[in-house]
Amino acid sequence: MNTLQAFKMAFKSISAKKMRSFLTMLGIIIGVASVVILVSIIQGQNKKNLEYLESQGTNTLSVSAYKWSGGDISQDLYNYCLGLSDLVVGVTPKIQVYNEMTVRYSTNTMSTNDSWETAAQVVLGSDQYGLCNNYTLKSGRDLSYLDVARYSNVCVLGGGAAERLFNYVDPVGRSITINGSPYLVIGVYEKKNVDGWPEMDNLILLPYTLNRTLNDNQTISEYSVKAVSASAADEAAVRLQGYLTALIPESSGYAYIQNNNANMASMDALLNSQSLVLIGIAAISLLVGGIGIMNIMLVTVTERTREIGIRKAIGAERRSIIAQFLIEAAVICGIGGIFGIIVGYMGTLIAAKMLLDMIMMPGTAITIGAFLFSVVLGILFGMYPAIKASGLQPVEALRAE
Amino acid sequence: MLIEIKDIYKIYNEGRESEVRALNGVSLSIDRGEFVAIVGQSGSGKSTLMNVLGCLDIPTYGDYWLDGVDVTGLSDRQLAHIRNKQIGFIFQGYNLIQELDALENVILPLIYQGVPIWEREDRAMEALARVGMDDRAHHRPSEMSGGQQQRVAIARAIATHPSIIMADEPTGALDSKTGQHVLEILRELYRGGTTVILITHDNGIAATARRVVRLSDGMVISDDAQEVDWE
Repeated sequence: MNTLQAFKMAFKSISAKKMRSFLTMLGIIIGVASVVILVSIIQGQNKKNLEYLESQGTNTLSVSAYKWSGGDISQDLYNYCLGLSDLVVGVTPKIQVYNEMTVRYSTNTMSTNDSWETAAQVVLGSDQYGLCNNYTLKSGRDLSYLDVARYSNVCVLGGGAAERLFNYVDPVGRSITINGSPYLVIGVYEKKNVDGWPEMDNLILLPYTLNRTLNDNQTISEYSVKAVSASAADEAAVRLQGYLTALIPESSGYAYIQNNNANMASMDALLNSQSLVLIGIAAISLLVGGIGIMNIMLVTVTERTREIGIRKAIGAERRSIIAQFLIEAAVICGIGGIFGIIVGYMGTLIAAKMLLDMIMMPGTAITIGAFLFSVVLGILFGMYPAIKASGLQPVEALRAE
Repeated sequence: MLIEIKDIYKIYNEGRESEVRALNGVSLSIDRGEFVAIVGQSGSGKSTLMNVLGCLDIPTYGDYWLDGVDVTGLSDRQLAHIRNKQIGFIFQGYNLIQELDALENVILPLIYQGVPIWEREDRAMEALARVGMDDRAHHRPSEMSGGQQQRVAIARAIATHPSIIMADEPTGALDSKTGQHVLEILRELYRGGTTVILITHDNGIAATARRVVRLSDGMVISDDAQEVDWE
């Protein structure tokens, strides 16, 4: 049997009944498009989460500790971590100031009340804040122990904040005002540029000892701890939990430790199980599409019984007839798959922008996979009608009108 | 003998009240290069006989040797090969595939025969030229008259150079002038050495054959050679 001829024939019969072919393809189009969109969005979400967690730095622990009686554990935690120096390389309070703050340099201002992408993130931390939160210094110097100890009015700016306040002027050595009080800029961090998390670069970091003046002396309850390695992070988490539980019994407050490495793993697992459910639903729509193909191919076989009889009379073998109808089913599904992928690309662009605020396209693997899968679907569901067609007796098929 | 059938029966609904014996013990031999007309009224079993001879249908009982081969024991696939290589069919209703143009219709049996792609078109054009249809190669059946369609069907039947042409009422749907033209093409094939089996209910057409086999109620009632003047 000539495959080229079968393809030609398939295209002829598809274009002869355009509306019917389109409606038949619709099931495949919807199925393929939904698989492409879902897989892409899930991959995008996954990537975004991982980027966020990675930008926070790997091997970090987030510590939340609070005593009902008041008074923070900063010094206790610091001292304990000094004793874990083979495991822990840094520890810092992490205090986000939520009071309204206006930050100004010359005529440029940023406020904590701006929209989330541009709002100033005024944060109080120790000299190890940058290390624990994965910021790298671009120019100037980082906070020092003395800055903290002396309540110095100094700050380090995130890359975004530096750009917004200073444009192209070098901020180091200049002063900004926060709610009117001057603070000397001693350093600037590199921009992290994490898709979907612009606020991380709008950091304005000040020594945590300024908590009293800038944050109404609210109790410090959040800390970051940086470990030397993944296994060190696991061990430090266990030890810290033991220490903090002893320090703050359940009756007098709370102490939680989150290992960000474990967060990544569990985020992955969660996404994987969500993906399975969503892709399963999309696969059901593909199955429905496939049944549609089988149905229309059965109709086609009935309509073309006489043609099958003619072909058999002039010497077509069973396998030639099977090949012809299988190719036709595969072509319908393949075209449907291509349209589905096109719709999937558009849908992914729109959905990614709306849900994730990202510009993203489906990957090559999912694109090729979706196309191949739809062709296989056509072959699978075309099998029964094709075999039925090939089994017709020539003399009976010729009698059909 | 090219074709030899012995005691062929084709029985529908055997053993029931509605039993129909389309062929009721037919024996017949046809030699290579004969021009045979099989004549009978409608219902006489002549079409059934052609279907059996053409390997389109399987007899209920009886033996059939085609070119020395016992056809009754062959598989689907072997029968398809015989229909493809040894037999060319011409039907009353032309039986062209509507979606294909004349050339593509004629190419079809060549594809099934496995003729290489670069030879197919030349051979199909040659067959179309023999029936005078080479100028209509790219017309679809719906764009041709009945006589033209039948000539394309003949081209399709002869494209594989079969040894037997079976024509079932080939002029049945044509006016007498175009019918004569079609018959002339068949005579031409006969002169070229092809065995022609012509099924008809029309005694006038049967009179033009060298041998006439008459069928009635599924049985052969006469089998005569006759002299005919074709010029």
